[in-house]
Amino acid sequence: MLRKLLKHEWKSVSKVLLPVNLGIILITVIGCIVLNTNIFATKESFPIALFMLIFYLLSLMTFASITLIFVYVRFYKNLFTTEGYLMHTLPVAPIQLFHSKLIVGFSWSIFNCLLTLFSTAALGFSAIVRVAKDENIDNVYRFFLGDSISNNHNQTFSFAEMFGYPPATFVILLLLLLLTGCLVSILMGYLSILLGQLMEKFKLAASIGFYIVIYLIMQMVTSVAILLPNSNLLLSAMDNDSSIYFSNVFYKNLFPASIISQLILCIIFYLAAYFLIRRNVNLD
Amino acid sequence: MTLIECKALTKKYGNYHALSNIDLQIESGHIIGLLGPNGSGKTTLLKLITGLLQPSSGTLTINGEPVGVNSKRSISYLPDHTYLDRNMRVRDAMDFFEDFYQDFDSMRAYDMLAQLAINPNHKLKTLSKGTQEKVQLILVMSRRANLYILDEPIAGVDPAARDFILNTILSNYDENASILISTHLISDIENILDEVIFIQDGNLRTHASVDDLRQKEHKSIDTIFREVFKC
Repeated sequence: MLRKLLKHEWKSVSKVLLPVNLGIILITVIGCIVLNTNIFATKESFPIALFMLIFYLLSLMTFASITLIFVYVRFYKNLFTTEGYLMHTLPVAPIQLFHSKLIVGFSWSIFNCLLTLFSTAALGFSAIVRVAKDENIDNVYRFFLGDSISNNHNQTFSFAEMFGYPPATFVILLLLLLLTGCLVSILMGYLSILLGQLMEKFKLAASIGFYIVIYLIMQMVTSVAILLPNSNLLLSAMDNDSSIYFSNVFYKNLFPASIISQLILCIIFYLAAYFLIRRNVNLD
Repeated sequence: MTLIECKALTKKYGNYHALSNIDLQIESGHIIGLLGPNGSGKTTLLKLITGLLQPSSGTLTINGEPVGVNSKRSISYLPDHTYLDRNMRVRDAMDFFEDFYQDFDSMRAYDMLAQLAINPNHKLKTLSKGTQEKVQLILVMSRRANLYILDEPIAGVDPAARDFILNTILSNYDENASILISTHLISDIENILDEVIFIQDGNLRTHASVDDLRQKEHKSIDTIFREVFKC
């Protein structure tokens, strides 16, 4: 039955989220084309370039927000409004309903994150190619391949020195952080909605309230949990004159700590949601 | 065979008793009218039977089992409002029912759609409210369920549509199955009922055979209802 639930859930969600996410591909293609023209060659074109950059970043944020909010709305609307009368009378266990929403919501959220990452990487690559036409291309390769680059006037650094990891490891860790981060976001929304259902009245308002409270608590707890064990390292890095040293320490230590804290939150949120969805529903 | 059994079934919202100590047995093979004025607890009772609400106290069993996945498999439920995703096409709704209910007869459903000239490729949101209700009724009555629960199936539709709905109900249900119909439009359905349950302020007033009640009171069920629930 879970497979059937997934099939119908995917079909319904894709109708909305496929066009939204295709928008990211569209602005990426346009951005890459623009970056490969000479329209920003003059100083006068700077305001237009700045406007386009802001527009691009706001678009990415909008697409990400629409994806996440739609996933929450779909969960609420399909299970706890009039559509819930159909879903909760299907011969399936409530936890299967939850899993179908979670898997599809998580898949779309990850797809959106990956597209966003791909988009920024594609635009970044276009910009690098553009710069490499004017600069020494070897410097660009050496930055990514790991050799420190220095000359008499400016010191530049390799990717690994700047971000604490070689590019491949950095990308893997970034993907892990994205995966856990997306799962935490989805579960936090679902948990808030489920907690809101425990109220006798104003269930939607209560869900939003729970979301804000959980978000604030999560931010405080994760900040303390991540920063405290690394505070000495970060302080010594800040004492060091080199901002690159700070950046190196920051990424090297905080990446694994963030991933672990997100994993712990995933487990807590999932168990809480699992407990709540197994309680029998009361649809008004 | 007992299909539904309620013992001291109670549903409270805070201090308000929507249903109080309902003791009820419904046998299979009957068409039962659940009758009562607005706010009497009819929909609450139906939602408890379908598992959309949980009792505050008391017990409720369907075919001897508590309400759960098994009971949902054998109940075909029509709520008093649209419960389909309005962005679906009619055909999607048919596929949905076919996937989840093994007893769904899609051929019968498509036949009924054709009789009413409803295009399966139309989106539900493009259909009128009455047509959406007909689509839902077709879906619900195209199942070979043990128990059909119909909450106000004829409220809000024109008299011609009422005839279609009642014909659909009568011509599609299996004689071994039971139908529990909630309504306050008694005169329209009186002739198809085997039993009636009168419910008022969350309490069971009467549960009797239609024929027995008519013979005893020498009145139609509609008249009895008007007298019992006179304002």
